[in-house]
Amino acid sequence: MPDYPATHEAARVTIADFFEQLGHREHEVRLEGVRGSIQFEIERGDKAAGGGQPVDTWFLRLDRGDIEVAHERRPADCVVRTGEGALARIARGEENAIASLLRGAALVEGNLYLLVSFERLLPSPPGTRDPRARYQEAFR
Amino acid sequence: MSREQNRILDGNTFVVSDDRGDIEAGPTAVVGLFSIDTRFLSTWVLTINGERTSALSVDDLQYYEARFFLVPGVAGQYVDSKLSIIRQRSLGIGLFEDLTLLNHNEVGVDLTVRMQATSDFADIFEIKNELTKKGKYYAEPRDDRLRLGYERDTFRRETIITSSVPAAFDPQGITFQIHLEPGEKWHTTLTVSAVAVGPDGQDLRLGLSSQSREKGDLAVDLNQWLTRAPTLNSDSRSLVETYKRSLVDLAALRFPPLSLGGPALPAAGLPWFMAVFGRDSILTSLQSLPFTPELAATTLRVLGLTQGSRFDDFRDEDPGRIVHELRYGESAAFEEQPHSPYYGTADATPLFVILLDEYERWTGDLDLVRYLEFEARAALDWIETYADLLGNGYIWYERRNQDTGLENQCWKDSWDSISYHDGRLPGFPRATCELQGYAYDAKLRGARLARRAWNDPGYAERLEKEAADLRERFNRDFWVEKGQFYALALDADGQQVDALSSNMGHLLWSGIVPQDRATKVAEHLVGPRLFSGWGVRTLAVGEGRYNPIGYHVGTVWPFDNSFIAWGLQRYGFREEVAKIATGIFDAANYFQGRLPEAFGGYPRELTKYPVQYPTACSPQAWSTGTPLLLLRTLLGLDPHGDHLVVDPALPPDLGRMELLDIPGRWGRVDAFGRGRATLHSKEVERSPDGER
Repeated sequence: MPDYPATHEAARVTIADFFEQLGHREHEVRLEGVRGSIQFEIERGDKAAGGGQPVDTWFLRLDRGDIEVAHERRPADCVVRTGEGALARIARGEENAIASLLRGAALVEGNLYLLVSFERLLPSPPGTRDPRARYQEAFR
Repeated sequence: MSREQNRILDGNTFVVSDDRGDIEAGPTAVVGLFSIDTRFLSTWVLTINGERTSALSVDDLQYYEARFFLVPGVAGQYVDSKLSIIRQRSLGIGLFEDLTLLNHNEVGVDLTVRMQATSDFADIFEIKNELTKKGKYYAEPRDDRLRLGYERDTFRRETIITSSVPAAFDPQGITFQIHLEPGEKWHTTLTVSAVAVGPDGQDLRLGLSSQSREKGDLAVDLNQWLTRAPTLNSDSRSLVETYKRSLVDLAALRFPPLSLGGPALPAAGLPWFMAVFGRDSILTSLQSLPFTPELAATTLRVLGLTQGSRFDDFRDEDPGRIVHELRYGESAAFEEQPHSPYYGTADATPLFVILLDEYERWTGDLDLVRYLEFEARAALDWIETYADLLGNGYIWYERRNQDTGLENQCWKDSWDSISYHDGRLPGFPRATCELQGYAYDAKLRGARLARRAWNDPGYAERLEKEAADLRERFNRDFWVEKGQFYALALDADGQQVDALSSNMGHLLWSGIVPQDRATKVAEHLVGPRLFSGWGVRTLAVGEGRYNPIGYHVGTVWPFDNSFIAWGLQRYGFREEVAKIATGIFDAANYFQGRLPEAFGGYPRELTKYPVQYPTACSPQAWSTGTPLLLLRTLLGLDPHGDHLVVDPALPPDLGRMELLDIPGRWGRVDAFGRGRATLHSKEVERSPDGER
């Protein structure tokens, strides 16, 4: 696993940039089959401690390819509670959300289907490229 | 001395013990109580006054329930026991074990009853690969429970053991001091909870919409499952038994993934593979479509949901690629193994499209075809783009994860499965032949769906053009002129990997083979080098790497044979179908109707019975599905619009056969067949290339 960002401020910026960019996507064809809402409750530190007050919250509504983002706490079909470090790594494509859940670094309540669908919006890990690039000049 | 194993399971929770109900895990033995890919009990041993017990009999009540009748003392030292012990266990959210002791003596007895209980919390991958643990263990006995635990950073798994009557709990187990008067009975229920502890101290599965079913529901559920499936009547009692065994085992292997509360898809096999596997789940769903179509619907939904969406070298993920394997254990949680999920399979993606089309042909469920339009198109795009590593129009594979990825990403996924005639192994990337057949079939079926459900005739035409080009290219590059068969694969230089193998049987199923070549292929498949008398070998006798007990280089795989038979039927080779079906059904009789993953490729006349492959999984999903697909093939069942075509061609030994209440878009219909003394290979009734 990559290192935890040096400051929580760096993680906060990464997370905010990620959600704000999501809010600017016009239509996401990969999520046309998905309807529902996800609430991200973000705790200070690297993981969900459980029970503590979140330091930040983001709300996401997925509606047949349209994405609504709100920087606030709302009732949702799926609630994901995790640390800012873990969420920042997830947002950069460095860490896997389901692995975080299995590891106890994230807490998910409600409809896990929505979180798995949400993973389609996550970027490739830094440094990866089209697999054809190894064999074909055209993809380099 | 090796003892008989007892196995019960429900979803991905299962118990493997000896015939006394005891669990004693060695470093690599797959015995224990397992849940979410983790062992929660590695020792579970009953003693009475310090003595082990012996089994008088064992009842496998249901796949999720077993009962052991025991007496004190070890086997071989038979004593006229005055004490009966009954151990009955079932699965729910963990393990429930009812322990009953009966005193048949004329005098009262004082007994020390002890259950030794420990857990190594091994990830199933650690058992396979003998890895060592990085975290620390703890054991906390209290007045009312024993808590065994394992902790590594935020990762925590716990086994919590309680008793319905008072007991003394210590770090290694539970002890009862009891007194039984003559004729008196003593009883307790031990509950073993397998807990994946989340950050709030609760089981991390608890808050998810998917809830584990109650114990009582399993019986109702199994009954409904069997009632919904078609009824088979036949003169062959063993065939009916095999059919029933298949339906029950398929029910047992149903697996509700965490992400879809409720519906289930087939897991791959006990004990190694109680997990979502793209290829296995798809092929089993194809086999069982005429019988239990709901499995296909869930498989398609889950695999659509988890389809790849980006490039990830660790997971061998590409956009559009269908999952290979999804695991929930410690190594996946810490991303030491890539299975959260892993995408290193080259066939699941075209097979996903094939299953979607076949599912629609049977059920008429256009809603699901429309719901999965994006995923199906992404899968078809993957075939045309990221799978074509060399840019010459084939599906190629080479793992990017060199440490923990899979070398061979076709169904024969062991390291030495793909070889030249002389036994050399080709370099990478590799393009095995059956992958190209699947790609061809997926394109034609995708075209059908584009017209029927997606209202995109332009896309359909493009796919058909691509399929026609692929067929021409494939028949030019893969056909081994000298031997008159299809090469197992092409190597990176475009040279033929020229071993004679079972893979080309799948090409018949895909329809990529011209009729004149199909005759040659069929001759090889049932000829002496490939056909053992029980079935078609994975690799032919005379090939450099042939070994009758080599995993993919000489054994006979029942599932492989079921798809080969389906392919032969497609081209009208009915005698050949009968030959294979008879061999496999005969083999099933030696395993009480439960076909193993694989058995030895020895000639039938040499061994007289099929030799089971040593570490084969059983039950295994696609072996369980094999009798179902063979029945479909023998009865010649095929949807045609809103009707079911029945065109039986049964081997004489099977006599009369009727399959009643076959579900589909026609409602429910019956099919009848009768074995005849001679079978005539009929002309093909429809062109393999034509609209289906």
